[in-house]
Amino acid sequence: MSVLALPDKALRTAVRELPENALAANRQAALARFLERGFPTTRLEDWKYTDLTSIADISQRWLESGAPTATAASVSGRVEEIRAVVGIDWIVIGNGAIVDGTHIAGSEGLSIATFSELKHAPGYEHPLADLNAALLPDGLHIHVHAHSHHDRPLGLLFVDGADSQPGVTQTRVFIELDEGSQAQFVEYHASIGEADHYANSVVELSLAKGASADYVRIQARDGGHTQTHRTAISLQASSTIRYSGFDLGGRLVRNDLDIDIGGKEATVLVGGLYIAGDGQHIDNHVRIDHRVGPARSEQEFRGILGGRCRCVWNGKAIVQPGADGTDAEQSNHNLLLSERAEIDAKPELEIYADEVKCSHGTTVGQIDDAALFYLRSRGLDKQDAMRALTRAFGASIVSHSPIAAVADHLTEIVERRLTALTEDSDA
Amino acid sequence: MLEIKDLKASTGDTPILNGVSLSVKAGEVHAIMGPNGSGKSTLAQVIAGHDDYAVTGGSVEYKGRDLLELEPEERARDGIFLGFQYPVEIPGVNNAYLLKAALNAKRKHHGLDEIDAFEFLKLAKEKMVLLGMDPKFLNRGVNEGFSGGEKKRNEILQMAMLEPDLAILDETDSGLDIDALKAVAHGINSLRSPDRAIVLVTHYQRLLDYVEPDVVHVLSAGRILRSGDKSLALELEEKGYDWVKEAANA
Repeated sequence: MSVLALPDKALRTAVRELPENALAANRQAALARFLERGFPTTRLEDWKYTDLTSIADISQRWLESGAPTATAASVSGRVEEIRAVVGIDWIVIGNGAIVDGTHIAGSEGLSIATFSELKHAPGYEHPLADLNAALLPDGLHIHVHAHSHHDRPLGLLFVDGADSQPGVTQTRVFIELDEGSQAQFVEYHASIGEADHYANSVVELSLAKGASADYVRIQARDGGHTQTHRTAISLQASSTIRYSGFDLGGRLVRNDLDIDIGGKEATVLVGGLYIAGDGQHIDNHVRIDHRVGPARSEQEFRGILGGRCRCVWNGKAIVQPGADGTDAEQSNHNLLLSERAEIDAKPELEIYADEVKCSHGTTVGQIDDAALFYLRSRGLDKQDAMRALTRAFGASIVSHSPIAAVADHLTEIVERRLTALTEDSDA
Repeated sequence: MLEIKDLKASTGDTPILNGVSLSVKAGEVHAIMGPNGSGKSTLAQVIAGHDDYAVTGGSVEYKGRDLLELEPEERARDGIFLGFQYPVEIPGVNNAYLLKAALNAKRKHHGLDEIDAFEFLKLAKEKMVLLGMDPKFLNRGVNEGFSGGEKKRNEILQMAMLEPDLAILDETDSGLDIDALKAVAHGINSLRSPDRAIVLVTHYQRLLDYVEPDVVHVLSAGRILRSGDKSLALELEEKGYDWVKEAANA
């Protein structure tokens, strides 16, 4: 059926050669499912704007070259750079291997272990999660104990890359927040190196009754690299997730954020900012399933697009039968700095309950010429004025990002990205 | 300071200025009056460098240089300030940021260091007191949600901070109540100096009760029909603009 398959034999060999641990049987099951379905193709509605051909190609070349694993050491420079500017506790996952940070496991109210230690079998409900489970060396399990409160954010730093051969990495994290617990997480994806790279990751968060999590995801991959990323969040009664995602880099990036509301009075606040320049494709798919009401979800995504690039936003809220008292809002606003930038924005609401409040809004605009002239007439040069206006456009997402410890760094890398974008732009 | 000779400008295919000549010297306050659609705002925008208007003839010299070849930001740094008739709201760009960036752009142009944060705040607050503005406006988005009067005061605040050599105030008096008008006039008068020129573009004579002009010009259909001293403004108020047009045609 699928046109985007990977060669069977090479893939089987790659799976067989992974470190022998408790995940082995699960890998085989996931492999069988992936081999059946392959990568999602643009014939599927959810994937029609995002063509994974180049990712299949990198994966194939990686398999053909013997599925090499670049060492974690090869990315240590980038790891140190990030550590130096964001002073939180980091768990480092370098080229797919959990290399550092599990010592934090000693902290009170927090347990960190690998999937293999816990014999935790990662689920697979999607072709990319199957591929991930099939090729996963090991996963990371973070357990936040009941009623424990953690003010210091825990960082998950994924850094990939190599200079010579194409690379593919699979990473997976499961975060379990027990009843009444509170924690903060920063998930940071970066990459280096000239060779093509494909990173496929899955993060699952499970929030028990009354749990609360603040979460910031930063994707600052190098220009040539690709990723597919799935985040699945499930919420029980009176739990709260505040989530902000920032996509600043990467050539082909697809993020799926799946949120399942399974308890009353749950609150979901999602913010997203994507900044894309020449040659980039950034796709954010968000699906919020209100199975139970009353509950509230709010998502606001903003995009700043320059050069020849394409971004996709698909926000979907589903209100299941009986989920009365649901309040779901979604919005997506885009600023196009170039005539060659393209945004495909698709808000969707599926409502099967009666007593609900749902809204969505989407806008696409350009730099306001009157504002640009106003700033220039005060002495700001055109680049500075453009940057001020683009910065202002993304400001609400940056300033509402829920974790103070990364705020300065975020502001700085967003600024750097905007500088590059407005310098390239002839808008 | 400003020498405009036979200036012609149009927007799209529509000519708006049809040969304006005007000479403004340092220390002078000029008022340009005229009916709606006479080209007053266009003249102000052309001097500031708005690219919606194409200059199709004539010349503008500022401090002895060809003004028309400069970018809007270069004009601003070299001392030209346009007070907008309709100041733009820019949500997300903080008022303090704009004031500081504008001030530093000018300082850099004159080979000076950036202003120190403490100095900046002190200066801004001092000017705000002068204009009867609440210092909390500093932390709001530029003109965001400001009332008409607040926007105009904010223009004068920017002018007071930037201390331009040539200020062109486009209908700064329109939409102001009497208190705001007095505050704005006070702000303008406090900038009057022998080194500075001010051009007031206005529809009504009202502002001129508070800021006394040295020269008054009447602009109509893109030409200056008549110039005179401040008594011309009073005469216009009394007789209306048609009187000047008729006199010019006669």
